Amino acid sequence: MTKTVIPIGPQHPLLKEPLAFQIMLEGERVTDSTMRMGYVHRGIERLCQERTFIQNIHLVERVCGICSHVHAMTYCRAVELLLGINVPPRAAYLRALLCELERIHSHLLWLGVLARNVGLDTIFMYAWRDREVALDIMEALSGGRVSHAVNIIGGVRSDVTPEQREEILEQLTTLDRQVNWLLGVVEHERSLQTRTKGVGLLSLQQVRRYCVVGPVARASGLDADMRRDEPRTPYDRLSFNVPMHTAGDVWARTLVRMQETLISVELCRDILKEMPEGPLAVRAPRRVPPGEAISRSEAPRGELFYYVRSDGSDTPARVKIRTPTLPSLLTLPQQLKGVTMADVSVVLSGVDLCIACADR
Amino acid sequence: MNALIKMLIFPGFGFLFIAALAFDWIDRRMIARFHGRVGPPWYQPLADFIKLLAKEDVVAEGTHGLAAAALPIVSLTAVMTASLYIPVGGIVGASFEGDLIVVLFLLALPALAYFLAGWISAGVYSVLGGHRSLLQYFSCEVPFLMAVTCPAILAGSWSINEISNFQAQTAWSALTQPLGFILALIGLIGKLKRDPLDIPKAKSEVVAGPLTDFSGRKLALWHLTMNMQTVLGIFLLVNLFFGGSRFFNRVPALPVFGLKSVAILLMLSTASALYARLRIDQLMDLGWRILAPLALIQILATLWIGG
Repeated sequence: MTKTVIPIGPQHPLLKEPLAFQIMLEGERVTDSTMRMGYVHRGIERLCQERTFIQNIHLVERVCGICSHVHAMTYCRAVELLLGINVPPRAAYLRALLCELERIHSHLLWLGVLARNVGLDTIFMYAWRDREVALDIMEALSGGRVSHAVNIIGGVRSDVTPEQREEILEQLTTLDRQVNWLLGVVEHERSLQTRTKGVGLLSLQQVRRYCVVGPVARASGLDADMRRDEPRTPYDRLSFNVPMHTAGDVWARTLVRMQETLISVELCRDILKEMPEGPLAVRAPRRVPPGEAISRSEAPRGELFYYVRSDGSDTPARVKIRTPTLPSLLTLPQQLKGVTMADVSVVLSGVDLCIACADR
Repeated sequence: MNALIKMLIFPGFGFLFIAALAFDWIDRRMIARFHGRVGPPWYQPLADFIKLLAKEDVVAEGTHGLAAAALPIVSLTAVMTASLYIPVGGIVGASFEGDLIVVLFLLALPALAYFLAGWISAGVYSVLGGHRSLLQYFSCEVPFLMAVTCPAILAGSWSINEISNFQAQTAWSALTQPLGFILALIGLIGKLKRDPLDIPKAKSEVVAGPLTDFSGRKLALWHLTMNMQTVLGIFLLVNLFFGGSRFFNRVPALPVFGLKSVAILLMLSTASALYARLRIDQLMDLGWRILAPLALIQILATLWIGG
């Protein structure tokens, strides 16, 4: 058997984000792999200590290009905990609405990337077309398709008018139909299943050992969802189930994500229908009393963790971000061992990497 | 003079060139419609071809320069030569008893050249893609050859034109041997390395396979070879499985032939849009465990009908 070393990344058609793999091959089978990351390290945590609490909202929103809102929201929550203020219910609902839209957008984008990497371009085009609906709604809500800048410490900045509400509900119906259709394709398309079933296996033990979170963990049978486990407004008032599968392969991850997308569409509807009237924000002081706070929320890729420490000035003494991609990254050498070269693309797309998040 | 026109203009090289670009455009347009896109305008394949011809031709360090220049020319020559023996709508460039075997041999040459293109390259993606192309060739060529043998057995001739005329008197082979036609179609997809069997050039795995390091004129010739191969493969299938025009006696043979060819092209486009790419081991399983035995059954059945 010939031994080859195949470089994947930092520039490769498979990975759009900068991450470098060296795949050791024996024939077509992967025997070993090494990983190099840090290409998009921007030092955001350090930069956070240079800027005021308010400036940091815009900085942490740029940690990720897909789940920008949930970063800003989690950061704001941590600061609000330090300040001891509660956001008004309407603001909490609006924040959750954008979170769910972001989840829809992220999962559909991911489905497209997976489909493209297994050569099913049709589903790639359909998934990204349907994702546009979610982007349009977000644009209507905040003015931005990717960066929304709606969070402020103490609430949100932009409101939803009754006319917008009707329009969004209508768009959600379209989205619901299209996501259902995509789920049907994923459930019934044999050629997609032959490529994803039994690939990238992660057992429940491995998931626990590497602290994997989010859809990847739920596809391996770990029942964890921040929205349900640490309920805050409005999730404590809404009922929703958390899709779970036990196979632990890319196929199970696909199902988990698509079912989650459907649930998110449903949640968006409920949030819009039950949104209470009231103010959008409360006034927050510029100086934050000394102390430390942690804030966790369910980003599209899993649990997002923010730690903020204040020394009583208007700049934080420390901001620590733990993104859900990091533990998934660490499992990759395990998942890659023994698969064929063709499955490398499936494994790498299966975990839904966000290198910008992981590098910060 | 007449022979020269046949060779250079119709049904020879000039026609083949235009048909290659036209089929490429129809294919891209169809797939785009399946995707929900608009697709390129009609002159896009020609524009791409001219653009590539004008681009800088880089030969990567470590690549055998002479072989890199020769391989696309060799495969293009083989494909163009094969075109002389494939009748277009009953118009025959050249024909003799046994030209089917020559055509099959000539259409196999580009596969070998494609493998060698990977072999002489210095890049790992090219080498891996080259290996894959050879594996794919073995799994797809056998069912393809066995399937295209069936119409020949039934017609009792190895001349493509004879087989085509034989069907005009009896019935389309696709009707008498539907299994053989489906096998030949799958084999053709594999031979042409089209989606969903584009394993040797799978973008997310080996970038562009053996052609990763090619650029400029050489890449343009490779693309032209592939497109011409598509056209010839389709023409071959039309002649072997939908030959003659008994049902359309009143209309001229040429438009009918064109319609049949486009119909087969649409089948190929549909398959591209509908299925995910197989892994190389899955393709080998498919080729040897399913397609080859089925082709054997088809041959036995044909012998039984014909004998």
